[in-house]
Order: sequence, then structure tokens, then C-alpha cells
Amino acid sequence: MNRTAQRLNRILSMLPWVIANPGATVDEVCERFGYSSKDLIADLDLVFVCGLPGYGPGDLMVAYVEDDEVVVDMADYFARPLRLTPAEGLGLLASGLAVISSGQAPPSLERAVEKLGAALTPDGGEVLTVDLAGEPHLVGLLRKAAAEGHVVDIVYASLGKGETKERSVEPWSVASALGNWYLSAYCRSAGGERIFRVDRIREANFTDEGFAKPAHPPAVEVRYLPGEDDVRATIRLTNRARWVAEYYPIEIVEDDTTGLVIRFSAGDVAVIARLLLRLGNDAELVEGPGVAEALSDLRARILTRYGSGA
Amino acid sequence: MKNVLERLLNLLACLLTAGRPVTADEIRHTVAGYEDKSDEAFHRMFERDKDLLREMGIPLELHPTDIWEVEFGYFLPPDEYQLDDPGLTDEERTALWLAAQIVRLGGQPQGPDALLKLGGIPFSGGGEPLAAELGLGSAGLATAFQAVADRSILEFTYRDSSRRLHPYGLVHQRGHWYLVGHAPGQGVKAFRVDKTSQVIVTSEPGAFDRPPGFKASDAIPRAPWEAGEEDIRAEVRFDADVSWWAERQLPSNAVREHHDDGSITAHMDVANEDAFIGWLLVFEDKAEVLAPAELRARLVERVGGVA
Repeated sequence: MNRTAQRLNRILSMLPWVIANPGATVDEVCERFGYSSKDLIADLDLVFVCGLPGYGPGDLMVAYVEDDEVVVDMADYFARPLRLTPAEGLGLLASGLAVISSGQAPPSLERAVEKLGAALTPDGGEVLTVDLAGEPHLVGLLRKAAAEGHVVDIVYASLGKGETKERSVEPWSVASALGNWYLSAYCRSAGGERIFRVDRIREANFTDEGFAKPAHPPAVEVRYLPGEDDVRATIRLTNRARWVAEYYPIEIVEDDTTGLVIRFSAGDVAVIARLLLRLGNDAELVEGPGVAEALSDLRARILTRYGSGA
Repeated sequence: MKNVLERLLNLLACLLTAGRPVTADEIRHTVAGYEDKSDEAFHRMFERDKDLLREMGIPLELHPTDIWEVEFGYFLPPDEYQLDDPGLTDEERTALWLAAQIVRLGGQPQGPDALLKLGGIPFSGGGEPLAAELGLGSAGLATAFQAVADRSILEFTYRDSSRRLHPYGLVHQRGHWYLVGHAPGQGVKAFRVDKTSQVIVTSEPGAFDRPPGFKASDAIPRAPWEAGEEDIRAEVRFDADVSWWAERQLPSNAVREHHDDGSITAHMDVANEDAFIGWLLVFEDKAEVLAPAELRARLVERVGGVA
């Protein structure tokens, strides 16, 4: 929404509430609708000069502040708030359901989602479902360790390199993005901040050792942030492979009707090779150090496995 | 901005109280803010105003002013303007606001506009770490939700062909949005929303009934390769060092044979060969399709590059 629409939306939300809550004070209205008192007065002044055709004293709305109370009258046609747009309804409901699915919801959220769902789809049934399925047991353990500040020993599979490694981590937070759970932590073994995919943590063991959590640990970035040592490749995608742009950390270099050219970063060249293999004819490597070699090596290994020769 | 807001408030007040379609000409001559404009200036201004209202979700419908349908006017149906108030308490609104702060759909943080309509936010939380990104899938997601909520018929393009659907529900699972509905002659099916385009509503609300007790999640494949129209029973061997990871991703109805060396053989249903091969390739040469032979051949062909 642009600023005009946002301001109009706030006026059309504030009026019904004031009408339904006579005697509301300036502070109450400001706090509830995020107004400064100056902005509230400006909006009330604006309402005061509007109304029905004729625009005489009996046609205009009444809106002013008296003895610190907000007074609105002659505005019954604005007594009901605007209905939610589809995007707003979906956003709120899906957010609520996502938090409930993560097992972190207070009862008040469950009640809110139930009421909102009933208002949006009155015919009942479970028409919207959000399932952040992951590793409930590991997610719970890691979240607890992050909350209590316990070091966790993990066995982590780096599938890019095809190996598992034991690491000692100081967990900061756990988050879900596009179907995967991520752990953001200080990795003692690597001596730096790392992001781990929870489904690739084969084992996690709580230790008694505590650690001091940074005052403001960085939030888990939904998109993986390319690091200094990352491999970068330029890839041309057909339109059929456009979904890659949403699911991977990429930078769009070119975008036209035939497809996209993207810059793709990954911690390991094998990740890029696998993506290219998966996309088949819908992707073409433009350039990327070592990527072509990794891809042909990957091809050869799989074909060997299938006895097809390389 | 002040003039625009005054004009829009006057326009809405007029339409909400008229109870009948009001012609553009009448609006021009009676609603304060539109007077004294040239034809062209009025039309430009009125079109901009309608766009802004549409963006806010305020529907201006064009209806005939009489049974002869000579003239048309703008009508604002109160039922479609007004919130069906769910009656949230302050505590419930706060919980919803906090949830909206930590969950995103497609990278866009949700603004407070929706919560203001529901009665405002008692206090603003903020500072919560981002906890979940659901992704948007496609620009059509909100349209699909509207059709689900209103029970309107949807049309869209999916895998290069156009589809017509009674949309029953939406499900977010494993990082993807799925649209579930009844397709004529095909029964209840699930469609990946990110593979849809040109999603449009093509009927009035209430065009169909959802089956009683419908649960959208029941129609959703347990794995990405179960969303499709193929019917294959696959047998796959996963080597010992990746079997634990494969097992975590197998649908609950897959049959698993555990071998002494730590490897497993899984038997599972595949309805989407492409998605299945794409998933298997992540295991590189540590997984092997044992059967059927056609699936093996397809994988080898895929890996071999240009066929």
C-alpha cells in the first residue's frame, strides 16, 4: 500500500473503534493505532470537513478532541472497519498457523487463529494448513539449548563434501525457511558464526557447559549469505527453472522473456554441480571456477553406479 | 495528500449511504473534491482513486442504474466493504501481530494495516527474530486464497495447460504452497502454487460447496514427488552413510528394508518422476534406483545430459 492508502486505512480503522468505544482518550487511540497525537489531530480535522453531499453542518462528520477525549459523531457509515484483503487475511492466518505448527504458540494465538479462520471461511473445514515439519525433536532440543545457553555437540553432515563432522556449537536461534529448519550458532570448531541445516544434524547432544550469548545475536538469515570463501557461478536458466530464484541465494544478472541469468553462490562447488544436474536442459553454466569439472565428475560417478559407463 | 484523502472519504461516504449505483457524472457533480474539473482531469482523477481503493480491497462494482441498462453507476456493496469482525481480544490481536512479525510470505514483512482493521494493536512488539519464511510461491497465492475463502471457481495455467478448479484449500508443506481442489473429471488434486500462473477467479462467491469436514492436508502428498499424475512404484537403495538422512525424508507410508551394512532399500509411490529424480540426485552416487527399469533409464538419461 502506498502512503495515502495506509493513511486512509488507518482513518477507516480508527473511526469504527472510536465509535464503538465512546470516551476513549487521545493516548488510548494513539497507542492502539500507532498515532502521534499530532497526526491523530490532523486526521480528525480532515474527517471533520468530510461527509455527505450537501456538505452542510448536518451532512459533515463530527470529529474532535475535548477534555482529552476523542469524539466522533455523525459518521455511522464508517462504523464498521474495512474487510481484510485476501493477502492480509492469508498473511495473518498463515503466520498464526506457522507459529502454532512450530509448537511455540500461546493459547491466545490458537484462539485468534480459530476466530479469524471462522470469519474468513465461515463454512468450516480445515481449508488452510501450514506445516513446518522438520525434526521436532532436534528443533526442540536446539531451541532449548539456545534459550538456556548450553553448548551442544553435533554430528553434522556436509553433503557437499560427502562427510560428517563432529562440531561443538553455541546455539543462538532456530528458524524455519522455505521448508527447512536452520540453526544459527557460533561454531567453536570453525571459530566463527555458522548456519546449519537442522535436517543434516545427525546427532545433537546437550552438554552441561554454558556460554554467554551475544546481546544481539544476528537473526538467522532466511537467505543464506554468500561468504568470502564461497564458490560463485553464473548460470543461465530457462523460464521453466525460474523457481530457482526463489529457493536459492542468488543474484539476478539478466532477466528477459527467455529466462534469467543468475549468480549463484555456495559453500561448496558440489552444491552448484548438483543443482545443474537437477535442472538438466533448463540450466546452462556460463562460468564458474571448477564447476564444469565437478559436474562432469558427479555425472561420471552416478553413471558408474548405474553401470552405464562415463 | 490531504485533498485526496478528503475526496476519498467523501466518495466512500456517498457510496456507502446511496444504496444504489451512482453514475460517474453524479459523483463528479455532487461529491466534494471532484467539482470544477475538465472532463479529462476528472476521469484521470477518478481512475486513480478507483485504483487506490481497489488496492485497499474496496470493491467498486459497476451496476446498471435501472432495468433498461442504459446507464451504469458505481455501487459499493456494504457486505463486501465491511469486515466480518472475528471479535478478537487485545491479547489475541497481540498474539497475531507477533506471529505476523516473525513469519514472512515471500520476504515481505507484513505491515500493521490488517491489524488496524481488526481493532488496532495494544502495543507493538518488535525485536523478535525472524522465525519462519513460508515463501509466496506465486503472485497468485492471495487470489487463490480469496477463491478458497469465497468458494469461487479458479482458472490458472499449470504445466503449460489451463486448469479449472473448485479450490477447496491451501496447504504449506515442506517449503511449498499447494492448492487443493476438485478438478472436473479428475477428483481432488493438489497443485504446486509456484508452478501456477495467470491465476484468476472466474465465478461469483459460493459457486460450490466444500465436502463436509474437508481437511486440505489430507489431499497433500507426503513428499514432493507424490504431487503429479504418474503412477510408479519405485525401489531405491540408499547407502549406509546417507541412509539416516534419506529416512528422515521418506514419506511415512514408504516401505523400508534395513540391511546389515546400514544401507536401506525403500519402496515408495512416485507420481512425479521429475521431482523424484531431482530429489534423488542430491544423494549423488550414494543412492540407486533398482526398479522399475524405465525410471532407472530416465535417471541415467537425465544425468547423461542432452538426450
